[in-house]
Amino acid sequence: MRADLSGGATHDVVVVGAGVAGALLAKRLTTAGLRVLVLEAGPETPWSFEGYARHLDSFFAATSKGAESAWPPAVGAPQPDSRDVRSGDGYFVQRGPQPYGSTYTRAQGGSTLHWLGVSLRMLPEDFALRSRYGVGRDWPLDYQTLEPYYRQAELEIGVAADVADQTYHGIEFAPGYDYPMQRIPQSYSDLTLAAAVDGMETTIGDSPISVRIRSYPAARNSIPRNGFRPVGAVDARTDGQALARDLGQRCAGNTACTPICPIQAKYNAGKSLAQADRSRLQVLAQAVASKILVDAGSGLVQGVEYKRYDDPRSARHAVHVARARVYVLAAHAVENAKLMLASGLLGTSGMVGRNLMDHPSIYGWGLAPTPVGAFRGPQSTSGIDDARSGAFRSQHAAFRVDIGNDGWRATTGAPDTTVTEAVNQGLYGVELLTHLRTRLSRQVRFSLNVEQLASPDNRVTIDPQFIDPLGNPRPVIHYDIDDYSLAGMAAAKRFYQAVFARAGIDDRSDPATGVWFPTVTYEGEEFHYHGMGHFAGTHIMGDDSSTSVVDVDQRSWEHRNLFLVGSGSFPSMGTSNPTLTLAALALRTADQLETGLRG
Amino acid sequence: MASTYLDELDALLPASLLDRILNAYSATTDQPGDEHLKAILDDPDLGPIARNIIVMWFCGTWTALPAEWRSRNDAAEDSTHVVSPAAYQAGLQWVAAGAHPAGARQQGFGAWSTEPPGTTS
Repeated sequence: MRADLSGGATHDVVVVGAGVAGALLAKRLTTAGLRVLVLEAGPETPWSFEGYARHLDSFFAATSKGAESAWPPAVGAPQPDSRDVRSGDGYFVQRGPQPYGSTYTRAQGGSTLHWLGVSLRMLPEDFALRSRYGVGRDWPLDYQTLEPYYRQAELEIGVAADVADQTYHGIEFAPGYDYPMQRIPQSYSDLTLAAAVDGMETTIGDSPISVRIRSYPAARNSIPRNGFRPVGAVDARTDGQALARDLGQRCAGNTACTPICPIQAKYNAGKSLAQADRSRLQVLAQAVASKILVDAGSGLVQGVEYKRYDDPRSARHAVHVARARVYVLAAHAVENAKLMLASGLLGTSGMVGRNLMDHPSIYGWGLAPTPVGAFRGPQSTSGIDDARSGAFRSQHAAFRVDIGNDGWRATTGAPDTTVTEAVNQGLYGVELLTHLRTRLSRQVRFSLNVEQLASPDNRVTIDPQFIDPLGNPRPVIHYDIDDYSLAGMAAAKRFYQAVFARAGIDDRSDPATGVWFPTVTYEGEEFHYHGMGHFAGTHIMGDDSSTSVVDVDQRSWEHRNLFLVGSGSFPSMGTSNPTLTLAALALRTADQLETGLRG
Repeated sequence: MASTYLDELDALLPASLLDRILNAYSATTDQPGDEHLKAILDDPDLGPIARNIIVMWFCGTWTALPAEWRSRNDAAEDSTHVVSPAAYQAGLQWVAAGAHPAGARQQGFGAWSTEPPGTTS
C-alpha cells in the first residue's frame, strides 16, 4: 500500500524504526487508542510463518553464518556487516583509531531478529556510576524509578528467569514478583563447569570475588508462571489470526538464536507489532526516514521526510512526508543520531552522535577434560556476573562473562574448522570420526564483555562525501577504547584463565588461528576484541540541556514533540546488554506519550 | 545425499578426473588395509579432491581448490560454498559432536541439560 500523508496529520504518532523500542511503543500506543505510523527503513519481515521460514534457508545456504546471514540488506537501507570490520569498506566509514566492532540489522524487527535474547537488568549502581565510583556519567533516573518498567518489559518481551537467581549486586524486585516464565534450563556444560568452579575465590583488583555460574534472564519461551501465556511465532492470516496458536511457545534447542530462531521461541519485535491494535497501526516498510522537518521558530517537528523504495534490489525511490502530532525516533542509536545530524539538528549541547559505547569483548576458549555437550541448546544459558560490581570500578571497567553452548563457533568457525583442520592433517575414516567425537563435544567458549564509559570523542558523524545509494549519509565512526576499559580487559583475561585452570579446561585461545578480530594493546599485551552489538550513548539522556540531548523522558530538549528512544539515550551501560533497559525506557516514554496525547 | 554430492562433483570437476578418483576408489573396496586409500590421499591430483569430499560429507561445504591445482588439472574456477541447505543439515560433523545442525533437527526443550553421548563410555 502506498500512503501519501503529505496532506496533513493522519496519525497521532510517527515512529521511525520497527525494532524493539518502536514496536513496543506501537503496541502500547495503539492499544491506548492512538493512531500510529511506523516507518521501517529495511524490508518487511514476513507476517506469515511460511515467509519467515524462508530466511532460515538463507542461513543454511550462507558460507559465512554470521548474525546477518539470514537477513540480507536492501540496497536502499544498507547495514554494517561483521565481515566489514576487517575489510574496512562496509556501510560504516571507520575513522579509528580503533574499528568499532559491532553491527545491526535494518529490517522490520531490527536486530532482535538475531539477538541472543539476554535480558539482564542493569545494576542499581550502574545508574549512579559517577556518584558511586567517580567515573562515567550518572543517569537522570535511578533503578527504583525504572523498576516497574523493567517488570513491564519482562512481561512484554517474555523473559524466562527465577528471581531467586537474579537477586545479586543490589538488584531488587517488587515483593512477590517473579519472572513470567521459569528460567531456561542450564546446559550440561554449565552444570559441569559449576560443579568445578562454584565457590571459587579470587580477586579483581582488591575486590574479593566468589565465582558462581549463574543462569541469566532470557527472552526465550520456557515454562510459564502464574497463567502467563508464552507468545509464539508471528503468523498473520486472513481470518485475523496474528500469532500462531501453538508454534514457538517453548524453546526447543535449535542452537541458532543468532542469526535466526527457526520457531520464534525467542522474542523478536515482530511479536509486539503483531500484538498491536492493527486497526490503528500502519507499518510502512522500505520507507527510509531522511530528514526531520522543523519549524524554525518553535522548534517543533512538522514532519518526517522519507524515501520509499519498491524493490529492495534497487535504489529507485520516491520522496514523501509523514505528519503527526508527535514524532519518535526509534531507528537505532546510530541511525537516530545520523538522522538528527542529516537534518541539521545539532542541539545546543553538541552531544548528538557523541558518547558512542559498546562492550569491547574478548574470547577465551578451551577443551574441557570430559565431553560437555557443546553445540546443543540455546547458544548460551549461563554467565558469570560476579565481576560486574566491586570497588575496582573506580579504577577499571567491570565485566560480565557469557558462557557459550556452541563450542568454538564464534572464535574459530567450529565445527567446520575443526573438521577441515583434522582432514588436512591427514585424518580420515574411523580415525577422523573418533578425533571429532573426542574434540567437538568438549569445546568451551567464554565471551568476556567489558564495560565502556561514555566519551564525547567516540562518536558518529556524517560527511557529504560518504552517502548510500539513496543519497542518505553513511555513518562515519570515530572510536577508541580507553585505559579504563583496557585495564578491565586485562583483568577479564586473568579471570578466565584462572577459571579455566580451576576447571581443568585446556586453554586453546589462540587468536592467530581463530577468527580475525581487531587488536588493541595495553601495557605491552595485545588483545583481540569483538563488538557485542551493544550500541549506546549517541543521544545521551540527562537533566541538563547543556550536556545532554534528551531529558529523562527521552524527549528532545530543543524539539518538544520529538522523542529519541533506545540505547542511544543511555549515559552508561554497565555490563548488561541494553535491550531490556531500552525496552523499559521505551515503555516509560509510552506512558508519558499516552498521558500527553490523550489529555 | 550421495546423488547431490555426485552432481556437485560433476559440475565442478573435469570428467576424466572424476572418473579417475571413482575408479581408484572402486579398486580399493575389496582390498584389505588402508594403503590404497592413503595412495589416493597422497596423490597430488586426487588428494585435494578426496579431502574436499570428506569435508563435504562432514560440513556440507565445497572448499575452493588451489589455483595451482586447478591450472594443472584444467579445472574451472570454483569457490567455497555450501552445497545446499540440505547438505548443510546432513553434515556428519553434527553427528560426531553428538549434537544437531544449528537451526535444524531441534532436540526439544531442556535436551541440552542432559548428559551428552560418550560421557560415560
